[in-house]
Amino acid sequence: MQKLPEAGFRLADADTVAVFEIFIKTTPERLWEAITDPKQRARYSFGVETRSDWTSGSSYEASVPGVIDIAAGENIEVERPRRLVQSFDALWSDDVKAAGTSRVTWEIEPVGNDSCRLTVVHDQLPEGANPELYGGWPMILSGLKTLLETGEALTTPGSLRYSGAGEPAA
Amino acid sequence: MDDVFKALSDSTRRGLLDELFKRDGQTLTELERRVPMTRFGVMKHLRVLEEAGLVTTRRRGREKLHFLNPVPIRLVHDRWVSKYAEPWAATLSGLKQSIEEEKDAEAA
Repeated sequence: MQKLPEAGFRLADADTVAVFEIFIKTTPERLWEAITDPKQRARYSFGVETRSDWTSGSSYEASVPGVIDIAAGENIEVERPRRLVQSFDALWSDDVKAAGTSRVTWEIEPVGNDSCRLTVVHDQLPEGANPELYGGWPMILSGLKTLLETGEALTTPGSLRYSGAGEPAA
Repeated sequence: MDDVFKALSDSTRRGLLDELFKRDGQTLTELERRVPMTRFGVMKHLRVLEEAGLVTTRRRGREKLHFLNPVPIRLVHDRWVSKYAEPWAATLSGLKQSIEEEKDAEAA
């Protein structure tokens, strides 16, 4: 989280930025599918499904249908399977709704023979933004890595929050 | 994961992460002012942190900004800490549920 300094080049778009990066043993295509398929996405996103037709300019909605709306926005750039830029309106509480529209950029870069570097940049956040807005990314990305590398879902606290799965099996 | 523990084993490097935790997205020059060390020393430590994935950089105009990437620490947590935390979280969510049910019962 940071406020960019006032001087220098391209600082007209001064904003608050959070950057998350993870290496995952998978292909860009497989990674793209795990991000854009609602059922796979739900397995590492607190049970939240993200639905869209994933074309440039289309809208998306992230929710647990009938339980809670999490986020919505537009797919500003869609370059399957390398880059996805989305506007992000958080919807899960009045406080995060008040933060307005921010931006989430997913970048997938193949590394070596069998891995990808996934970078998620959450920017255009207001100064002093509620950390809830971007604080869930490490847990989501850790769960995504586990799903792609092992086929299993994480069961860490909070990871099944809206999944309806309740308490993990003993 | 060896890289993560090696990077975290040094107090200067932990201090640099603390500085990024306080204010993310700093330049080398800014970070240099916050630790009693030469520019070269700070660069060397930042490189170790970058190799471990704990610091990631993005260019904004002419500046190279350093960001704390908490994901590798989350992976350490998910591997070893989570199974101890799970029953605790389950108890709390059970407690929340029973309180809410009581409230509903009162309201009814």
